[in-house]
Amino acid sequence: MNYQDIGLKAGLEIHQQLATGKLFSRCESELIKDTPDSIVKRKLRAMIGESGKIDIAAAYETSKNLTYVYEVHNSNTSLIETDEEPPLLVDEEALEIIYTVCRLLNCKIIPFVQIMRKTVVDGSNTSGFQRTCLVGTDGYLETSKGKVSIDSVILEEDSARRVAEDKTSVTYRLDRLGIPLIEITTGPDMRDPDHIRETAEKIGMILRSTGKVKRGLGTIRQDVNISISGGGRVELKGVQEIKEIQTIVNTEIERQQDELSMNRNVGGEVRNVKSDCTSKFLRPMPTSARMYPETDLPIIRTDFKKINSMKLPELISSRITRYQKAGLNNELASMMANSARSNVFDKILKTEINPTLIATTFLSTSKEIKRKLKLDSWNFPDELYIEMFSLLSNSKITKESIPEIMERFTKGELLEEVAKDYKPISDSELKKIISELVKENSKLPLGALIGKAMSQLSGRADGKKVAKFIGELTK
Amino acid sequence: MSAVGNKVKIKYFGSEYEGIILESSDKNMHLLKLTNGYNVGLPKKGSKVEVVGRANLSLKADTTPLTKNRSLPNVALISTGGTIASHVDYKTGAVHPMTKPRELLGKIPELKKIANLSVSAPMSIFSEEMNPEHWSKIAGFVARELNKDDVRGAVVTHGTDTLHYTAAALSFALEGLSKPVAIVGGQRSSDRGSFDGGMNLICGVHYATGDIAEVATVLHGTSSDDYCLANRGTKVKKLHTSKRDSFRPINTVPLAKIYPNGKIEKHSKCELRHSGKIKVKSKFEEKVALLKYYPGMTAEVLDSYSNYKGIIIEGTGLGHIATSKLIESITNLIKNGVFVGMTSQANYGRVDPYVYSTGRTLANHGVVYLEDMLPETAYVKLSWVLGQTSNSEKIRHLMVSNLRGELSQKSHPNAFLY
Repeated sequence: MNYQDIGLKAGLEIHQQLATGKLFSRCESELIKDTPDSIVKRKLRAMIGESGKIDIAAAYETSKNLTYVYEVHNSNTSLIETDEEPPLLVDEEALEIIYTVCRLLNCKIIPFVQIMRKTVVDGSNTSGFQRTCLVGTDGYLETSKGKVSIDSVILEEDSARRVAEDKTSVTYRLDRLGIPLIEITTGPDMRDPDHIRETAEKIGMILRSTGKVKRGLGTIRQDVNISISGGGRVELKGVQEIKEIQTIVNTEIERQQDELSMNRNVGGEVRNVKSDCTSKFLRPMPTSARMYPETDLPIIRTDFKKINSMKLPELISSRITRYQKAGLNNELASMMANSARSNVFDKILKTEINPTLIATTFLSTSKEIKRKLKLDSWNFPDELYIEMFSLLSNSKITKESIPEIMERFTKGELLEEVAKDYKPISDSELKKIISELVKENSKLPLGALIGKAMSQLSGRADGKKVAKFIGELTK
Repeated sequence: MSAVGNKVKIKYFGSEYEGIILESSDKNMHLLKLTNGYNVGLPKKGSKVEVVGRANLSLKADTTPLTKNRSLPNVALISTGGTIASHVDYKTGAVHPMTKPRELLGKIPELKKIANLSVSAPMSIFSEEMNPEHWSKIAGFVARELNKDDVRGAVVTHGTDTLHYTAAALSFALEGLSKPVAIVGGQRSSDRGSFDGGMNLICGVHYATGDIAEVATVLHGTSSDDYCLANRGTKVKKLHTSKRDSFRPINTVPLAKIYPNGKIEKHSKCELRHSGKIKVKSKFEEKVALLKYYPGMTAEVLDSYSNYKGIIIEGTGLGHIATSKLIESITNLIKNGVFVGMTSQANYGRVDPYVYSTGRTLANHGVVYLEDMLPETAYVKLSWVLGQTSNSEKIRHLMVSNLRGELSQKSHPNAFLY
């Protein structure tokens, strides 16, 4: 496909959940699987926007006259989520994160931020609106195909989760309602799917660099806006795998070309992307009549002094380079840099220990032990790594002993006690043991001798030393 | 330059913002509506404003005449203000009472299928600003409408904060009430899709076309949109600052459950619709006070009411205060002709002067125990009674008689925390 001839213009809209409490209530931001503690049933009506007109999207939803059933869990839902109480002031941590993101995207930050109510009548917000505010504008991102403009960086609340529906009702779970979202919208600057993919991946990396975004399925949502010559803008919602963007875009272009060839109007609609890369009509695109001020909350005065003196986090891309320079191969460098433990890794890097050893301990040794002991959700505490490598750097344990030490710790033993069993043997002692071993097994080849020695020493000696001494003795 | 409604381009520190100027609550800030719909604030200092046009910001006023459907009953809608009849004011960013009640009807089209509504607005204020003068005025409007032969009932819209006070006031002021009066409010703002006032109004109008001839508050019965409760105006209180179902019957069960589809499920004995003109007796005495007793209250506090006509005390438990410290003040008040009535801050339950010596002392010194009457209702009733007579015997007699269902000698077994 020649995207230039088609006149393809594409923009991205990315929604990322933050790892803080809920935005306008002090509830935990966690999704929950248990059966609900209670249920609330409501009806919603289309209301007039600020300009006096009834919003088209809102009227469309109301015409279906559905009952909305909301599932309440006492652990993460308050009266604010059930629309029975006014909102609390915006979460301070979330605000700090969005200022950081604005700076990383070279945005201008709005001096007085007004929180708005955006009409939502599909029932996914109990109040009938979503609270949202514009924080940053006029930013940009460097990519291999030039600058991509960042039109807006918005802080808003996530909606409730749809869990069931039938002809007369839709059921939502309120656990997700209120979780903070950062919405980043680019300008329609991308001209081909590769560029879209590169931009999306870079924005995702910047967000993860804050260290304060939620991870896992559903925590980031990507929408792509497409238009071709002759047609209007179509929003494709829910691109799960950015790797499939080329197929998704091509499929949509073909669909639009078909529509245009039959003299039908293209544009002004929101479509859901399906797993087979096709899309299905969801609803008409809302007009801007949907927003008006959130009058229950004061305007936020931006503290520019504080923002400009904020220490920016290291970008993951820079961290990968730094780890490569420290000696990690590309794969390990990338995995370690993206890991939630990278700051612990950095602390341990300060010792003289081989970075590859540290990285593999974090990334593979820990996984193997968890698999062996069948403990999927177990997390080795940061302090374990720090203290263990500290012992290693002081030659109080050997590197070979690490897996056993970690396993025994998991089973409940104290680190100090376990470490005593893995004190490295002195060189003289080691030579003694090895010379005896060599005498008794003089017929064995070198490799087998080393293997036998290592298992006999059970982690109390450095493998390289053992090999060296055996080599010397068998010359 | 920065006139509201101007389309402008504002340059501020290397950035340009294009939009429409809105009224700003902060005089040092421009408030702008951008084309993407978001509002942003820019400091006036440092901003360079260029006017590029003009936008029309006014809400289209609905001037369509209210047409009558002959097959539907006529209900009088009397608007006094409150959240249910407010709109978002972009001048101050706050919520203000609506000045045109018919705007409310535009938002709730279902009403047109239930009744023909005539709209009048004696006032448009937040209900915390209500006082006995307002009660009189509202009573006058209600009676005038209800005494029209072709009017089936009345619905009063009101702020929720003092809705129960006005409900009680109307109950006393409307003598010989022969048609229903619903008093309706909303806890959520009327701009939002989850506006509870919509359903409350619909149920209120259904109540007004029914046959319960009493003043009742009509608001949500639960946190869901399933039904409203019609609660007798003299026995209801706002028990939660913000929940939809905050209005609960006290010491009784509701008069009825009202469903949005019109079904009315009666739960109590009540006055039924009958023929007969309504007399308005709306004189209220202003020098009446409601005083909540608390441990440590000094005599000074009670003494300060010496030139009042009456006080209602919210005592503790069965109707107690610290007689050791305060009996002298009580005696002085009563000697000076101040009516002293006793209720309980426990909300639920009835006061009793016989169980403890405290009660017996207070009663013997002239404090009048008011059975299971709510303190707020007792305050309103006393204000009304003192407006009808100054004869201390009559006053006392009226206060302990059940005039409008405000007191009962039988405590309902299921009333607590209904």
